[in-house]
Amino acid sequence: MSTIDQCPSTKGPKAKNPKDMPPAARELVRLNGDARLAPIWRSAEEFADAPEFRDFVEREFPAGASELAESSRRDFVKIMGAGLALAGAAMVPGCRRPDHKILAYSREVPEQVIPGKPIYYATSMPMPGGGAQGLLVETHEGRPTKVEGNPLHPINRGKSTIWSQASILAMYDPDRLKNPRFRNPVRGDLPATWDDFTFWANEHFKKFDGTRGAGLVIVADRASGPTRDAIRARLAKRWPEMTWVSWDATSSDAPVAGGELAFGRPVRELFDFERASVIVSFDRDFLHLEPGSEINARTFAASRRALHPGDAMSRLYVAESGMSLTGGQADHRWRLAPSRVSAFAVALAQAVASRLPGGNIAPLKAALDGIDAPAGEDLDLNAIEAIADDLVDNRGRGVVCAGATQPAEIHAICHALNAALGNAGSTVRYMALSEDESSSAAAGLAGVAQQLDAGRVDTLVFVGTNPVYDAPGALGLGEKLKRAAHTIAFGVEPSETHDACEWSLNAAHWLESWGDTRAVDGTIAPIQPMIAPLYEPALSEVEFLAFLAGDAKPNGYDIVRDVWRAALGDNDFEKAWRRALHDGVVAGSTQRGETPGVNFAAVARAVGALKIGPGPRGQSLEAVFLASNMHDGRFANNAWLQELPAPGTMIAWDNAALLSPATAKRLNVTPDPYTTKEPKGRKCRVNVDGRSVEIVAWILPGMADDVVLLPLGYGRTKCGSVGEGVGFNVQSARPASGALAATGASLERIRGEYQVASTQNHWSLEGRTSIFRQVDKPAWDTLGSNETRTPDAIYGGTISDLNFAEKLGELSHTPPNVSIYANPFNESLDAPAPGSRYARGPQWGMTIDQTTCTGCGACTIACQSENNIPVVGKKEVAKGREMTWIRVDRYFVGKDLNNPEAMVHQPVACVHCENAPCETVCPVNATVHGDQGTNDMVYNRCIGTRYCANNCPYKVRRFNFFEYGDRNINGGYLGEDLIPGGGPTNQNLIPPSLRKRLDEIQRMRMNPDVTVRSRGVMEKCTYCIQRVNEARYEMKLQDLDSLPDGFFQSACQQACPSGSIAFGDILDPESEVAKMRGNARSYLLLGYINTRPRTSHMVRVVNPNPRIRTPIDNPFHHGHDGGHGGGHEDGHGSEGDHGHDAHGLPGDDHGHDAPHALFDPRKKAQDEGYALTLRVLGAQTGMMA
Amino acid sequence: MTSIHPDKATAERLAGLSAGGVVTSAQREDLGDGTLIETPGVRPPLVLNNRSFGEVTDIVCGYAENPAPKWWLPAFAFAALVAGTGGLLILYLIITGVGTWGLTNQVDWAWDITNFVFWIGIGHAGTLISAILCLLKQKWRTAVNRSAEAMTIFAVICAGTFPAIHVGRIWFIWFVFPIPNYNYIWPNFRSPLLWDVFAVSTYATVSLLFWFMGMIPDFATLRDRADKRLRLGVGGQKLLGIIHPDTIRAYAYGFFAMGWRGSSRHWHRYEVAYLILAGISTPLVLSVHSIVSFDFATSVVPGWHTTIFPPYFVAGAIFGGFAMVLLLLIPARELFPNFKDLLTLRHLENMAKILLVTGMMVGFAYSMEFFIAWYGGNEYELHVFLKNRVSPWHAPYWWAYWTMITCNVVSPQVFWFRKLRTNPLVIWIVALFVTVGMWFERFVIIVTSLHRSFLPGEWHMFHPTPVDIGIFIGSCGVFLTLFLLFLRFLPTFPIAEIKAVLPQADPHGHGAHAEKGAH
Repeated sequence: MSTIDQCPSTKGPKAKNPKDMPPAARELVRLNGDARLAPIWRSAEEFADAPEFRDFVEREFPAGASELAESSRRDFVKIMGAGLALAGAAMVPGCRRPDHKILAYSREVPEQVIPGKPIYYATSMPMPGGGAQGLLVETHEGRPTKVEGNPLHPINRGKSTIWSQASILAMYDPDRLKNPRFRNPVRGDLPATWDDFTFWANEHFKKFDGTRGAGLVIVADRASGPTRDAIRARLAKRWPEMTWVSWDATSSDAPVAGGELAFGRPVRELFDFERASVIVSFDRDFLHLEPGSEINARTFAASRRALHPGDAMSRLYVAESGMSLTGGQADHRWRLAPSRVSAFAVALAQAVASRLPGGNIAPLKAALDGIDAPAGEDLDLNAIEAIADDLVDNRGRGVVCAGATQPAEIHAICHALNAALGNAGSTVRYMALSEDESSSAAAGLAGVAQQLDAGRVDTLVFVGTNPVYDAPGALGLGEKLKRAAHTIAFGVEPSETHDACEWSLNAAHWLESWGDTRAVDGTIAPIQPMIAPLYEPALSEVEFLAFLAGDAKPNGYDIVRDVWRAALGDNDFEKAWRRALHDGVVAGSTQRGETPGVNFAAVARAVGALKIGPGPRGQSLEAVFLASNMHDGRFANNAWLQELPAPGTMIAWDNAALLSPATAKRLNVTPDPYTTKEPKGRKCRVNVDGRSVEIVAWILPGMADDVVLLPLGYGRTKCGSVGEGVGFNVQSARPASGALAATGASLERIRGEYQVASTQNHWSLEGRTSIFRQVDKPAWDTLGSNETRTPDAIYGGTISDLNFAEKLGELSHTPPNVSIYANPFNESLDAPAPGSRYARGPQWGMTIDQTTCTGCGACTIACQSENNIPVVGKKEVAKGREMTWIRVDRYFVGKDLNNPEAMVHQPVACVHCENAPCETVCPVNATVHGDQGTNDMVYNRCIGTRYCANNCPYKVRRFNFFEYGDRNINGGYLGEDLIPGGGPTNQNLIPPSLRKRLDEIQRMRMNPDVTVRSRGVMEKCTYCIQRVNEARYEMKLQDLDSLPDGFFQSACQQACPSGSIAFGDILDPESEVAKMRGNARSYLLLGYINTRPRTSHMVRVVNPNPRIRTPIDNPFHHGHDGGHGGGHEDGHGSEGDHGHDAHGLPGDDHGHDAPHALFDPRKKAQDEGYALTLRVLGAQTGMMA
Repeated sequence: MTSIHPDKATAERLAGLSAGGVVTSAQREDLGDGTLIETPGVRPPLVLNNRSFGEVTDIVCGYAENPAPKWWLPAFAFAALVAGTGGLLILYLIITGVGTWGLTNQVDWAWDITNFVFWIGIGHAGTLISAILCLLKQKWRTAVNRSAEAMTIFAVICAGTFPAIHVGRIWFIWFVFPIPNYNYIWPNFRSPLLWDVFAVSTYATVSLLFWFMGMIPDFATLRDRADKRLRLGVGGQKLLGIIHPDTIRAYAYGFFAMGWRGSSRHWHRYEVAYLILAGISTPLVLSVHSIVSFDFATSVVPGWHTTIFPPYFVAGAIFGGFAMVLLLLIPARELFPNFKDLLTLRHLENMAKILLVTGMMVGFAYSMEFFIAWYGGNEYELHVFLKNRVSPWHAPYWWAYWTMITCNVVSPQVFWFRKLRTNPLVIWIVALFVTVGMWFERFVIIVTSLHRSFLPGEWHMFHPTPVDIGIFIGSCGVFLTLFLLFLRFLPTFPIAEIKAVLPQADPHGHGAHAEKGAH
């Protein structure tokens, strides 16, 4: 269609002089390279005009191909396409050096493009379930290659999430729909053109003008944006009787209903955790899985940084059914079935209300007291009293919130508590929800089902939605679809709905579209195309809706501009528009939220009628449905997300019915121990309300007993080669109400086993408390001095020289690591020897704050995107061959695997040891040390002995066992099925001929600054050396003496939503990383081996309520009286038994009654042994002091 | 058969169809063999059945000159088939990628390096027998040294294969050699893998020279006998009517005999060279496996980072090497009947004693590892030994560890009993156990240490694939194929050296049989 007009090179404004930019924008330019507006490429064909690809294009859409005539700019693409093509197979392909033809990018370079220099554009991404992220997209010669958060966008503030990071891969997904398809009743499925559809639709939709829209149903994705709202209004005007359903598969009605109860209108909370001291979450994963979680993660982290002893730190209480990332951050956590979480909430509300005499909460108090909430032993009443006191003591600085599994009344109670405690207006504000956002998705879809049943639907249009897959199974929508006369599905990726519809239409990806978004805080941001649609012609969502609304030739650019012009006014519109496009946000659109009054009486009335069940009993379980990394399933064809381990379980490429270890044992579905064979789970059937799903059972420590957690978003049957057949579709068991929690579920084992690939098979730290160090806040406050390590002898010196964090680890137990050789590079643990190569800046280093890391995995995906890291597929993951350069290790801490005290996360990438064990053992000098302290990998030189990986104590090196870079799923190697891997293979056996063409497109997403590694080569984190080098060139160009801190960021640092990663020059005392490294919480992981890592980790600080658990105020004294330091010996169940045989049972031989298990009683004996050794050696034994 | 050989009676005797000469040496029934003399001061004979010089020559050359026994061709075909399959699997591995093995990013070496160390170890018996026992004037070595040296060569061939094919990009393997290249990058001389390259190639070269040089006089004998038959015209039929087999022998053996005429000057230089090579080889016995052990000892991996490794590996290598010598020679002794005259029970007993001693040495090393792990107080190291290896409740590979202990430490203890250590079947079974045990020793060291290293988050199991297993079996096939060819075509005993230990070689009675006369 009319994508030519979308191109800013023809329509867009002239480039801005940087001097005219506002200061913030100039800053942006400085940070992110030249972000001036510049032409973008017209079409994908320009980039992949290899003969094969042109054939492909011509076959698919003859009409589009003719447009491609002779374009001068296309020449370079020819080059690029040809350059990427492999020279073909040799007789023994493995013995050949890959042969690439490379031609220079020298002809017809377009204006403003500096070859090799990326250009950044601001845009925004509509998020599932509403909300949006503001992003900056890096484009190389017109190809978008990397997504970053937009520093000016209030949601992102430069940060991003796994979904936005991975969206770049989705755009280049070769499985995307490429052309319309029409299902002829006689001749079956026929490829069609958009002209065909336009012709058909122009005739077809006319008839609704007569019926005022009756018979027309549009099921659109829940999203929000001014342009979309405007077109929606046009549609409603044209066809008032039309049914519009705003569909979101992962939401429940309870939060909206709760808001209506409390405020009389639907609201969404905006939290400011930064100001919060006490946070209570009832089954709400506010850090990960909800619109606006990016802000939550950021402000929550800010409230817990505790960099200095005595710093204020928030305290998080979580009562939840699953084991969420939010639960992992909790200072106190209770694992309860959803109904018991409600009981917990009611009990807490009672306790709080009784502490707030009089006032407006009084009627609620009476109602609460009237609730017949079975007390139950699972409710820790002492703790509830303590939380209530904490909340009341911190009035105005608390947050109480409830998740979507909780009924509306609990949400209303939370609103009431926040109001009564004065939190509303301070830490919690409210945003009114639009009609679209507040409508009940499930009810809307149920209405459609009813209409279908009644035969009143003539035409059903799905816009970016896939209800055939993700509607609750109880609705039976897939079957009912046949009762509509005409069905039209419009979307980017193939889907079950597309497959079921008469018309399947290909949409432009948001990275190829014009549009706009409205974020949870009302911020309006433009969506601007980074590239013309890869599979032209295609319509963007707003264009398609505008087409339905009557535009003959909808043009996204004009539509958005028209809407904005109406909103912003004609005056200076161009300036405002260009500014908005440049900044990626509409200035002044961000709202703080409001503080409507709570109708306590209404809440009290509703609460009075609340029935709280007794919780799961016996065979009757409670089922919880939860969005996953695939969200509602729309990301299922995204291999990066599929390979990203799920939080807690670390399962990749699957979902599973998750049970607590005890419940799994009781139901006889405990999975295989990983130690005896490649892990297999037991197949089981989960029944919910008479519907069932067959799925594999798996365990997740920390889950509530008798709860089965069913992650949504898997089990797609039509989504492309990556996601099809991956996991199980649990939507089929979801109640028609769309509720996310259901009682009365049951689980029975059925025949069969199923292989589950997990990146981390081991649950526990094995008592290795020095690897993940954690202290209670009182200990940090009293003992954490803020001094850096004092200068010492060559290494180690004496124990008293160690900082707080190092005293917690091995170095406090061993004699000082005094080297018998003088180290030419270092004088002390911190300081380089004067004149040595480490004394000249910059010297790169990184710190990772384990207090604030939530384990979301954004760093992993960002790294994957930045560094062209291949995906390996389920079978390879099961073997332990995932390629991610930065991984987030997850450990459960505590005595009892079934009821761990905490789930902690430890990101580990190459730590760039100054004394790198990998470097000495490489026979061919393929891994060597750079002058700036980086441990560099020379791919050209690597022959693949893998000795470096063996000798790496951190196990961060990744080997290309196969040609992963080229064929990125399951290795795709010759005879892959000869190797028994078990389980169904990924449906990825695309014929090689087609594969090659599709690879052309996939390769376009590669970061040209980073080598794609061939098979047989070792790779690992480089500290984003390509960014380092780019910054160094920039430094020289700008005539700077040194790189200012923050001049550039590593990919993981840039993405991290909680800001837990600092990176920079450790010799620059003002740099963030130097400050963090000097912080007393900073320790060197496995530093006792004398590897001298450049990445340091920071001790996790938790803030327990002394009335619930006595904090350990002196971790250095652990073990002396044998009384505390609970026995988390070696991993319970860690040897694969998952706690179900003789040795790994909860509370086994090391079961002391101590509250805190990070300190190991076995250390006592060792301490004494070390002390003895030290005495024998005549050394100082002051370490215990 | 008789057609090729001038003397039917001799041919039959050599082929084992008729008995040899009259047994004259004193022997006790219960000991079963004339060489097992219990009387102190009586030197037992090293060759039985009163063989003459001529008979010794006939026996040794007869294996190469006579048609192969019936079992040889099927055995060779089978071994070659196994070797060929292994070769195809290696081709598949190289074409497809190292991922066809079960390796992971946590366990980056498993069967590949296990097999490498295993085969390198096998080779040690040959060098030890050739060099150290030569220098120590242990005359009994003459019966076994040629086959043990051959085994060394074959084992090094098998061993060398694995490091070569285990790399990800075998087409760049030349990077490990210090060859000047266009970007002036030397190999990393700090890397134990590079030391391996030098150590193993030196070892292979010296062993090959040693083996080959020892065979020169015997090649000459074979050449001369073929030549004599041709000149007498008693060589029988031509192959395919074209060429006489003895012509091939004369030229082939003649080529390798390098003009040996048996002159005194030749013998003198031969003896000097042999002694020099023995002197060069002696440190190699210690150095090669010490350097192989550095692959592990210089690393930081708990379970590898152990200073005891060099002596422990050397002892283990000798242990495993002798086991392999016994494993092959005992069946050969049964299949080639006259072998027994040259390779007597006394030889077997001596080697059994070496197994017992070296077995206890490795047992001591195993126990020292625990002591040091405890005494060193390193949490990670202690964990490797107690949790990852021993405990059936914690260690996934406990069975591998206990297989190793049973085979290497427990099974040789039967050799405390003379009756058992002189029973070829028992010795063979123990040798088999030890061979298995020594393979597991390397597996235990490599895999159990790697699969659970420092960070529990990266603990991962190793599961071998059919390619792993097939290539190992293939390497056994290569070894067996080469050994069968050796038995068939090369002088399996050093003729001159055996003659030197015959009583006839010592007419003045200073040697072995003098005592009888003197007493």
